[in-house]
Amino acid sequence: MTRTDDLIRSLASTAGTQRSASLQGAFAVTGAASLACALLLVFSVIGIRQDFAEMAVRLPFAFKVVYTGALVVGTSVVALHAATPGASATALYAISPAVIFLACGAIFDPTAFPIMGRTNTAVAFCVGGILFVSLPAMVLTFVFMRKGAPTQPLFAGAVIGILSASLGAMAYTLACKNDGTAFVATWYTAACAIMAFIGAVVGHRVLRW
Amino acid sequence: MTVEEREQRWAEAMRAERRGEAVPYERMLKEVATALRRSLAPRLVRVSLGAHEADDLVQEILIGLHRKRHTWDPARPFLPWLHTITRYKLIDFMRHRRGDTRRRVDLALHLAVLPVSQRKIVRAIAVEGASVRNVARGLATSEGAVRVTLHRAIRRLLAAADPTPTIESPSRNEHDKDR
Repeated sequence: MTRTDDLIRSLASTAGTQRSASLQGAFAVTGAASLACALLLVFSVIGIRQDFAEMAVRLPFAFKVVYTGALVVGTSVVALHAATPGASATALYAISPAVIFLACGAIFDPTAFPIMGRTNTAVAFCVGGILFVSLPAMVLTFVFMRKGAPTQPLFAGAVIGILSASLGAMAYTLACKNDGTAFVATWYTAACAIMAFIGAVVGHRVLRW
Repeated sequence: MTVEEREQRWAEAMRAERRGEAVPYERMLKEVATALRRSLAPRLVRVSLGAHEADDLVQEILIGLHRKRHTWDPARPFLPWLHTITRYKLIDFMRHRRGDTRRRVDLALHLAVLPVSQRKIVRAIAVEGASVRNVARGLATSEGAVRVTLHRAIRRLLAAADPTPTIESPSRNEHDKDR
């Protein structure tokens, strides 16, 4: 009893010392830094597409941006939810637009682009590229999540994985040569799934507090 | 206190903490500790953990509350936030205790291969961390005799763990170092 009272006294003595930067603010900074890192990697290592200006006005590019964008927004909402104890679970619906885009892209593919890509290495290059550019985002988001209070470390880690993969994929659209919505729906999503798995494994270990 | 009163009172204390007011915050932590002790004790008794463990768990929760207090949004209710942290810490606590219990059972099984005199000495020195001198005094025997018995017990435990009879007996110096 007295031990607990001592603890309470020492905790209370540090009242007001925590800087009250909101979780949302820290998250916005993390997101911006993550996207910047991913873009930097795309520009410096992979290189943007030669015919970028021509391709940027056509449908497959728009689909890539809209799909990854919806995924970024949706998983951001879920990530903030995962970092906050007692937050409402309706945040999970935020990923539904991305799921709808994904389904539409996979089912109504107006392009005749083969789902395995035009070359043998297309799939490996696409998935590998997304994983590569999303790694800094993953590290940064884990740092953010440790500042929060995730009460489901496995779930929070998986969400971090999808969020960083979708940020990476969004940057990767500048380099991506695969102009088929079914291809994008399949392989961008595969990259997200791989990152979700990695994130869950890492999260289970590093997100305990 | 009704739930609504408690919600208002504690949320107000949390806001006061952000303004740097220690007094209402300390009062709130005490009230939270009392409430938690009352609500957690029966649950812990059900899994045969006593009042001492309840206190450990309450401290864990208070530390968690304090360290993660910036994740509470003043625009949201406080009690669900506290409840989620409590549940998280409770599950974590149970998991650790279960691991401890399993290790204790494993240890008891291993020590069961020893005769009673050796088991007593191994438990005193290796588990409870007593010194050779104190054990010798307690058993009214010499330090040398305790060392020899411990040595034999360890050889027997190693033989039981690994059935191939190729165990090199560790020197007495190494022995002391490990202890």
